[in-house]
Amino acid sequence: MANTLKPVDVAVLGLGATGGVAVLPLARAGLKIAGIEAGTWMDPHRDFHADEIYNNVRRQVTTSPKAQREIPTVRTGPGEKARPPAAHPMMNAIGGTSIHYWAQSWRLKAWDFKTRSETTQRYGAAALPAGTTLEDWPLTYDELAPFYDVVEDEVGVSGAAGNIGGKLTGRGNPFESPRAKEYPMPPLRGAGFTDHMAETARKLGWKPFAPPAAINSQPRKGRSSCVYHGYCGSGGCHVSAKGSTAVTTIPEAQKTKNLTIFDNAHVTRIETDANGRVTGVRYLRNREEFFQPAKVVLLAGYTYENSRLLLLSKSKPYPKGLSNNHGQVGRHYFGHWNSFVTALFPHDINTWYGLPAQGTTCDEWADDNFDHSGMGFIGGSSLHVMTERHPIDAAAMNTFGRAPGWGSAWKKFIQENAGRQSNTYIQTNTFPYETMYLDLDDEITDPLGDPVCRINTGGMRENERLATQNANSKMEQWFQAAGAIQVAQTPPFVPGVSTHAYGGTRMGDNADTNVVNRWGFSHEAPNLGVLGASVMGTSGARNPTLTAQALAWRTADYLVKNWKSLSS
Amino acid sequence: MLDEHTLTRRDLLFAAAFVPVAALTASAQTGPVALTPGEMKTLEAFIDRLVPTDELGPGAVESRAQLYIDRVLAGPNANEKAEFLEGLEAVNAYAQGTQGAPLADLPAEKRDLVLKAIDENTAEGLPQGRPFFNRARRLTLEGMFGDPYYGGNGAFAGWDLIRYPGPRPAVDAEMQRMDAAPAPYDHSAWGPQYK
Repeated sequence: MANTLKPVDVAVLGLGATGGVAVLPLARAGLKIAGIEAGTWMDPHRDFHADEIYNNVRRQVTTSPKAQREIPTVRTGPGEKARPPAAHPMMNAIGGTSIHYWAQSWRLKAWDFKTRSETTQRYGAAALPAGTTLEDWPLTYDELAPFYDVVEDEVGVSGAAGNIGGKLTGRGNPFESPRAKEYPMPPLRGAGFTDHMAETARKLGWKPFAPPAAINSQPRKGRSSCVYHGYCGSGGCHVSAKGSTAVTTIPEAQKTKNLTIFDNAHVTRIETDANGRVTGVRYLRNREEFFQPAKVVLLAGYTYENSRLLLLSKSKPYPKGLSNNHGQVGRHYFGHWNSFVTALFPHDINTWYGLPAQGTTCDEWADDNFDHSGMGFIGGSSLHVMTERHPIDAAAMNTFGRAPGWGSAWKKFIQENAGRQSNTYIQTNTFPYETMYLDLDDEITDPLGDPVCRINTGGMRENERLATQNANSKMEQWFQAAGAIQVAQTPPFVPGVSTHAYGGTRMGDNADTNVVNRWGFSHEAPNLGVLGASVMGTSGARNPTLTAQALAWRTADYLVKNWKSLSS
Repeated sequence: MLDEHTLTRRDLLFAAAFVPVAALTASAQTGPVALTPGEMKTLEAFIDRLVPTDELGPGAVESRAQLYIDRVLAGPNANEKAEFLEGLEAVNAYAQGTQGAPLADLPAEKRDLVLKAIDENTAEGLPQGRPFFNRARRLTLEGMFGDPYYGGNGAFAGWDLIRYPGPRPAVDAEMQRMDAAPAPYDHSAWGPQYK
């Protein structure tokens, strides 16, 4: 029998990027919260190091047992055996993946919220990707903008506004949707190489800018500014300059004494009553089973776990899984398309130090920022050039066909070129499709015997393939103009297990095609909310975290304002 | 993000099985622990050709990459030890069969012929040659270019070779100029005793 704990107002499942944000408005409103987290606290002095083997080879920051024991499997679709993929860089901890993410903190564009109607209006319905289940979001950019403002302030985002109230500032991203005000902090500084790339982009007639990041560019709220030491990606920040929820919103919420954290707690099921309301959460901690009763449950796992836990939580009112009587849990899933272009320069570029968020971005080829007539695709990609290079990774670089892979000739090649290669990060607008979805694997389980999540990719997408190819060729043009002597492109590939995974519990007004309503609450179980990129119906051509956090704050805010009706 | 897309399942299994830091520190004080002296000789003969000592400076062996490999096979990568050593022995047998002597007894140019055949997939009767080659190469790079705390990169030879300026605690704008060549900061992230 499970130990039944003292009832709380709200149980938040997962204290990562989104659950860690949502607890703050709830706690400030005086609601009693149980924050149930599969991981625990990480310690900057014990756990975060300037060591490539520790961070990137052994992945001692980014791997924690629960997430690693339930890595989703991947297949194209029915009739094919799903295989466990290479790895899963998502993790469990208080702060979750916001501890080691790159902290690029973008707002989506107004277009991302209305892609279907905008595309139909500008290019005709035939321009929509074949087989897509794309819908307009049930809210506009303008409705989300105030929540972006709040979260940017709470986690601390550095950046340059490109558009304040409809007026271009001449700095920042000229393609962004209007902001009410400047960022809380100026952007991170550029490095010599990224400044050179920015200068080159300007010569091409593009408008490069320093992208926004949840990293302090100056000391703020008792946290240090960034030290640019080159161990940000896959590592935690030893000076807490990165605005992980573990050092921002979660400690703020704890100050109210309304948040109780239950760490190392492996949630197994969300329970419901005969009327279809959720009653609380069952979890395992140190081999003991607990039941945490709650008036409202906010599910804030990563995208794969959100769908999986709902599908596992079967009951009489929900025989196909919680909130799945319309068969929509797992649907409208997609992994963010991205691609990599690398360039070799004839001189050292000195990108060893810095961080992936320190860089230059161009948005000319993203979203609907250019005329797509006759191009055969909608959307596009942001192009980002950055710093942070580690020695093992550098030594393992592509030799661009200029040297063998070993021996003295190879040694001479890396001696000369290890410090001359630039990497990029190219993110493409990605859309949901009928044949792309999550379900439960029929063979592979976690150690408790629960099936893992299974990704059905549906295979290659012509729309995203063409968009990626277009972006790769623009990136190549940019590098060549900057003086690269050789450029290599990775061919477009179908995403598998992704750190940018969307959908599965999509947000929308229509209960036949969406799991949660415009406020993030289930269409079926009225006191169940879902947080995370799993509610997003489009990706944007940029990192999802800030949007998922703004949506999480908005859902929590709605819960506070409608507490009586939602909690009873 | 790049490395997240190039991970192998094996990397992940190792990561999941990592041993506590205290145990690693303990192992760092002792000599070889996974390989027999004979295996160590063969390994050195192999990685010495992957990254030779030459006019550009120390190679893999002088940088103690073999010590790194030995320690990880004894500790965090213990689950690949058997497969790795089988691969090493198979390569040794191939050297005996085609060049007339175990790898460690062959001159550099004959060892190069063995490595070349494996690298180009022309080594007959050696199906495990290519996977072993890739794995040995990867571990050699980790040993030669990783933090000396783990046993390799002796005297920071790997970092100096590629002009990696070292894990400074903080970096200013001047050090990030494109034409700047920051002076080597040859320090382990774990303390000055590791070098």
